[in-house]
Amino acid sequence: MKILVQIFILLLSSHTIFAAEGQGSTGLPQMDITTFPSQLFWLVITFTILYIFMWRVVIPKLSTTIEERKDKISNDINEAEKFNSEATGIHEKYEEQMSSASQNASTIISESKSQMNEYFENLKLENEKKIEEMIKKSQEMIKSREKESINEVRNATLETVKEIIVKYLDKTPNDDEILKKLN
Amino acid sequence: MAAGNPIDPIHQFEISKIADIQIGGLDLSFTNSSLFMVFALSATVMLFLIGLSRRSIIPNRMQMLSELSYNFIANMLRDQVGDQGRAYFPFIFSLFMFIFFCNFIGLIPYTFTVTSHLIVTFAFAGLIFIAVTIIGFVKNGLGYLRIFYPSGIPIFLAPLIVPIEIISYLSKPISLSVRLCANMLAGHSILKIFAGFTVMLGFLGFAPLVFLVVLYALETLIAALQAYIFTILTCIYLNDALHPDH
Repeated sequence: MKILVQIFILLLSSHTIFAAEGQGSTGLPQMDITTFPSQLFWLVITFTILYIFMWRVVIPKLSTTIEERKDKISNDINEAEKFNSEATGIHEKYEEQMSSASQNASTIISESKSQMNEYFENLKLENEKKIEEMIKKSQEMIKSREKESINEVRNATLETVKEIIVKYLDKTPNDDEILKKLN
Repeated sequence: MAAGNPIDPIHQFEISKIADIQIGGLDLSFTNSSLFMVFALSATVMLFLIGLSRRSIIPNRMQMLSELSYNFIANMLRDQVGDQGRAYFPFIFSLFMFIFFCNFIGLIPYTFTVTSHLIVTFAFAGLIFIAVTIIGFVKNGLGYLRIFYPSGIPIFLAPLIVPIEIISYLSKPISLSVRLCANMLAGHSILKIFAGFTVMLGFLGFAPLVFLVVLYALETLIAALQAYIFTILTCIYLNDALHPDH
């Protein structure tokens, strides 16, 4: 402010210097009292018009526009929040369903796994039993075949021996005797 | 020097009659000052008419500009005075827009700066001073006199403080008006002086020209700033009138 005042004073003095060689006007135009009524008069007129224009036209319109915008924005924000909460709800539900589904799936998988294991175990046991039985049967068969074949050989030998005896010794031998001798 | 001294910085402030009007012995002529008051008025009216012509939720540029100025002044008033200041908003808003456009139009070469005349700024300041005083007494009764004796000051200091407060209160309109007027007057005069130097120095004129450009930017800032200061001080005075306790 001090600087401005100094410039102001400087201008006042400089003007008097310039005015001396210039148009010869006296002092600052700001100090010319004769222009005051006109300035004040037109200031009052223009400013009153401006005031009425602002008061009656600009401010009501602007404030309604700004209020409308505020309302619209807050409404939009509310709606967006509603939608957002809905969306999060749906997402939560989806997650729940997903987790329960995956749990179900894992239980199903483990169940079927154990079932499968059991089944295979049973199958294995059964097959083993069957195989054992089959082995026993075949062993028995082998044994019986052995006996049979031994008997057959013995009988065949007996017959042969009988025939030999009948041919060469002309004797009807007793079977028991022959058997005794053969053994 | 027929057309006046080329660096006569005061020439731009001279008032010349455009239409001679005499009413009741008073010279109420339409002068260049009046013309530029009308220009400032029309600039404001144009800004808001264009800004308000197509109002939409998503504003266009001119609407944005008018809403920005509205919000700027509304926030200033709310911050300084509070909700009680609402009634004075049209006046504060008009005041700011008028001074702002007067200052800005005055920056265009060959124009006239309405606010460089002390009588104009003093008319505003005086009006504000009287209005604030009336508002103060109407709202607070004689309690408004408390502003001359701030609370918490020992009684023996009262003979010292009260006159100082009264003087500072009475000097408010003077400081308010002189601040704006002197800023405009000094700034425009300096611009004119440097413009004159630029012309006079011929080729060497680029040096003052550079300075002129910088100064012009500064003056643009000052034009906006002084309108702001004038308005915010009005708000502060209004706040003092409405709440004299603090």
